[in-house]
Amino acid sequence: MRYGLTDLGRELIGAGRDRTSEDLRPGEFFAVKDANFQVRAGECVGLLGPNGAGKSTMLKMINGLILPNAGCITIHGNVGAMIELGTGFNPVLSGRENIYINAAVLGLGKREVDRCMESIVEFAELAHVIDEPVKTYSSGMKMRLGFSIGANLRPQLLLIDEVLAVGDVAFRMKCFAHLRELVKSGISIILVTHAVSMLNRVANRAIVFGDGNIIHDGDLETGCTVYEETMGASDRVKHAADPQPETAARILKAEVVDANGQPCKEFETGSTVRVNVTVTATESLDRMNLFAALCSPVHGRVAAVSTASQGIDFSIQKEKKVCVTLVFEKIPLLLGAFHFNISLYGPTSLDFYHRASGIGNFRITGPPIRSDGRGIEGITKLPYRFEIED
Amino acid sequence: MSTTRPTVRYSAHSEIRNPVKLFSDMWSDTWNGRELAWRLFLRNIRGLYRQTLLGLFWAFLPPVANTAIWIFLRQQGVFNIGDMEVNETLYILTGMILWQAFGDAIQMPLKVLNQHKSMLSKLRFSREALLLVGLGEIVFDLLIRAVLLALAMAWFGVAPSLAVLGAVVAIVMMIALGATLGILLMPIGSLYQDVGRLLSMVVPFWMILTPIIYPSPTAFPGTLLNWLNPASPFLILSRDLLLMGQSNMWFPAFIWGLITIPLALLGLIMFRISIPVLVERMNT
Repeated sequence: MRYGLTDLGRELIGAGRDRTSEDLRPGEFFAVKDANFQVRAGECVGLLGPNGAGKSTMLKMINGLILPNAGCITIHGNVGAMIELGTGFNPVLSGRENIYINAAVLGLGKREVDRCMESIVEFAELAHVIDEPVKTYSSGMKMRLGFSIGANLRPQLLLIDEVLAVGDVAFRMKCFAHLRELVKSGISIILVTHAVSMLNRVANRAIVFGDGNIIHDGDLETGCTVYEETMGASDRVKHAADPQPETAARILKAEVVDANGQPCKEFETGSTVRVNVTVTATESLDRMNLFAALCSPVHGRVAAVSTASQGIDFSIQKEKKVCVTLVFEKIPLLLGAFHFNISLYGPTSLDFYHRASGIGNFRITGPPIRSDGRGIEGITKLPYRFEIED
Repeated sequence: MSTTRPTVRYSAHSEIRNPVKLFSDMWSDTWNGRELAWRLFLRNIRGLYRQTLLGLFWAFLPPVANTAIWIFLRQQGVFNIGDMEVNETLYILTGMILWQAFGDAIQMPLKVLNQHKSMLSKLRFSREALLLVGLGEIVFDLLIRAVLLALAMAWFGVAPSLAVLGAVVAIVMMIALGATLGILLMPIGSLYQDVGRLLSMVVPFWMILTPIIYPSPTAFPGTLLNWLNPASPFLILSRDLLLMGQSNMWFPAFIWGLITIPLALLGLIMFRISIPVLVERMNT
């Protein structure tokens, strides 16, 4: 609070907000650092990153809600924002009255609202209740109404923050189609979301934030996998603090290599992925087993395999290293980032020695998937065919 | 899609460094925010009265209740501070209605800021529109109470003169001064809750210091207190002009008018500059 007063005083005397790292006061940090990017007309950019990475702060700065401490933001054109749907709604008033209120908050005048009132009501599919008080609406109905009002904004730059999970699947598809239309018409969109699967329905570029820095700015596919990888890293961080008792055997590392044995992090769907898991022991141990869970930070555990399921085991000589290789021929995974949680056991599941989480990271970076219902999507590519009967 | 492409630039430089642009932006935002202000005003008024059974009666109630209490106490002899030149019920009721507007004006900036915190921290819109909404609500309440006052004046046989026009100007200045003081307190009030609490405690004491329930003092030091109390000159002037058509408070009101105008301008600058700093600290 005291900092607030100081900052206010500095603003009033025209001292400005320029700050460097040395100027930070105890407890302060830069939410966004050295972020440079440009968005052109007709581009839809997804801002990705774990919580606290700086995406929403970036969006607030672009929207002019808060001002930067260094550098500048230049925007050519009007900015519209769909940050919180239904801002300004009064539950006692009818849906129609609230359309005028929310539209005014978003910068639409009465004449514009009068002109598009029917299309708002129709888009929201709420014609039957539009004159009822909003307090009688379900939360989904309120969100639909809020989105429909925002959908009539025609700025040069549209900012959207986590508002794409609106209503049922059919309504969501309608929203995506609408956003695609906006992009086609030359409107730029900056979109913040955690829902990567939704992002590729509309965005054509991804900027990934990590700890306030941009760690990726480029194509969407790589952006999504980089984002998933940062989420996977949190798995490693989460388990790093787990107490690891001194045991007779340990997993030392897991290295991902390609079919030629060369270290590799990026693969295409259908390529060969080999994971070399190195283990060691402080005493000679027989009938050892490995259990490997293949995980996606977004979808959770994708598959789990074990040496026991294949009916094999291995021995470790005292103070020696053993390399156990897990091979995936023609890996069927689709775009995304993946990692392993690997456990080392003795002859039975009760003979647990060691667990290593978030290791063996790799990405599937191609081919692109389609989320418009006209391609394949999801985590895995299943062998399939359609048969059509007359 | 609009064909004009305004260029906006946000940087670490303080807006105050370019006063011409600052005033031009303040004016254009206020002008562009009039529709939003009107919509929010309608929302608040409709929302407020649609949820009540007695509707506009609630706007009448506070001054009527306060007046009734003070008249009762005076008649019981709890306090008696001189005779009044006009009917005491009408005198106290008028003072109460005017004081209510002044008190509301002081508390208005902090109130609208707290009411619209969520909007402020998520969307860019004309911030000045919020002040217009707050002022609109104060004027709306005052107009409703003016009907009550007109009825009371008719009842007690007090005919208004042309001096009412002067009273209107004095009331506008009084509300402007109250709102300005509120705006100047708003940034600190937003950061520290103590200000809001202090205000709700101080305002009733301030009312006692203002000649509302007792005649305006005519001797020193009461006259000096009247001059120094920012609420007194405009309140006494407008009440005198409404009920008697003349007043001896023109000069102090004029001085306070001269103070109010630059102070209001300073308040508006402070309001505009403080909002981004306050939004940074809003955890909504």
